[in-house]
Amino acid sequence: MTSSSAAARKNLSKIACNRLQKELVEWQVNPPTGFKHKVTDNLQRWVIEVSGAPGTLYANETYQLQVDFPENYPMEAPQVIFLHPAPLHPHIYSNGHICLDILYDSWSPAMTVSSICISILSMLSSSTVKQRPEDNDRYVKNCRNGRSPRRQGGGSMMIKYSN
Amino acid sequence: MGNKLGRRRQVVDEKFTRPQGLYNHKDVDHKKLRKLILESKLAPCYPGDEETALDREECPICFLYYPSLNRSRCCTKSICTECFLQMKVPNSTRPTQCPFCKTANYAVEYRGVKSKEEKGLEQIEEQRVIEAKIRMRQQELQDEEERLHKRLETGSANVNVAVADVEYSTNAAAASSVSVVEHEEIVSSQDSCATSMFRPPPPTVRTNRDDEFDVDLEDIMVMEAIWLSIQEKGKQRNLSFPDVTSGQYVADPHYALPVMDLQTGSSSSPSGGLACAIAALAERQQVTGDSSTISTSENTSFNTQGSRRYYNRIGRDMVSYTPTDNLNEVPTNDTVMTRGHGEWDIVHGQEVAQTSTSYASSAAAEDGDEISLPQSGDIDGGLQSTTNPIVPESFEEQMMLAMAVSLAEAQAMSSGHGASWQ
Repeated sequence: MTSSSAAARKNLSKIACNRLQKELVEWQVNPPTGFKHKVTDNLQRWVIEVSGAPGTLYANETYQLQVDFPENYPMEAPQVIFLHPAPLHPHIYSNGHICLDILYDSWSPAMTVSSICISILSMLSSSTVKQRPEDNDRYVKNCRNGRSPRRQGGGSMMIKYSN
Repeated sequence: MGNKLGRRRQVVDEKFTRPQGLYNHKDVDHKKLRKLILESKLAPCYPGDEETALDREECPICFLYYPSLNRSRCCTKSICTECFLQMKVPNSTRPTQCPFCKTANYAVEYRGVKSKEEKGLEQIEEQRVIEAKIRMRQQELQDEEERLHKRLETGSANVNVAVADVEYSTNAAAASSVSVVEHEEIVSSQDSCATSMFRPPPPTVRTNRDDEFDVDLEDIMVMEAIWLSIQEKGKQRNLSFPDVTSGQYVADPHYALPVMDLQTGSSSSPSGGLACAIAALAERQQVTGDSSTISTSENTSFNTQGSRRYYNRIGRDMVSYTPTDNLNEVPTNDTVMTRGHGEWDIVHGQEVAQTSTSYASSAAAEDGDEISLPQSGDIDGGLQSTTNPIVPESFEEQMMLAMAVSLAEAQAMSSGHGASWQ
């Protein structure tokens, strides 16, 4: 998995650990609609199953999100990618990278895993066409080391979701 | 509101004027921080509790609980002092955005412990959010249910199509069983039951039909007989034809046309083609020895006008058939019919309204209790349209037609048990 090279990370900070534990509890009590957290003992990497919203292009399809939390979560955004196979979407590269501004520059520590998930589902649901980003091949080729779209200069095509 | 209370200077323990080590703060001006806390411009750095307790507020960034928190000026969201210090990115050219509402130039103020009014307002807000969430859930469930219903409906319709298809193609008797399906299906929308069969068909069904050619000789005979009897009774209403036929009828010839073109061949007049086809098919029937019982029963039922189901069927055949002026496109007739079975939408208000025509009178008399007026009306439309273009021109054609008719009549006479099919 190219994406995890950057995630050969330090352990979570105390605050990150505390927050993630609480997020997990909150998730279990009130999971966002269409998502299922796959239980592991790894707090630092969540695998979440996404079900395409009914009535959208991705209805009846399920995908897997992998969420890796940095040491300084929530001050830094988690790294969120789709595991193979990634959904066909104009803002999702075939290696699973997602062009979504809140995962990069527009991240705010007030966001949670739950809110990220809702944003991603919203991104999927609003799609009108199932296709890869135009620069998919180039991007994936240049991306072997697992850098995120932001550092690749892919931000220009990033979907802007405030909040 | 709450200003008095909030602005009141608190005596803050010295140890709470320093960060408690929640983060590894860099570039924090400790002097300035201490001053701000002592002046009650920032919340004291109380150590956050992991568990909630009475009168504690949760910082939405670190998820810890504090006696009091700062508020953002833009959106009054809470934040603890240590998290706030993290938000101010040092050496950044960009002004800090509010982490909650993204307003530029994020700034906070401290009002002390939340007043009762504030807490009340927050509780109301929370209550609203919960209610909205419940509404959302309910809406989702409702939508899901509707979707499920739709899927079931289309599913059952498809099954019916399949049944109709198979049974009809095996023999003409299937017409009755098809009708049974229809009537069950249409219980909920009685007005539309007759007319719904004329829906523009899905093209896919049609291809299956092209190879089943000689099955419907009976149909042709029956149609011809109908036509003749109508003509003989002098019930021609040629003028009304364009009005009576609705858009659905008009659409049918288009479907029929390609097939017809292939098979029309040499006929010089509309009825000439008709007659030729009848003759040819009659020959064919003798050769292949097709069972005549089915056709006779059909004829019977038609002649006595006792079966509304046959009406439906015949009427439909006529309708789809007549504008093309050709008998040969039997498959097309079938197609039109099958398509009709497949779809149950309510379409034909006008057609139902146009029931009171010549045919209807006799049909109604025969049908008795069966409410078949809409159907007979449809047939009528079809019949009238038939009479318009098809007039035998040559003597030969007339003879052939006559033969066909007498054949049909003879069959009808010989086995008079059409009622059994009802």
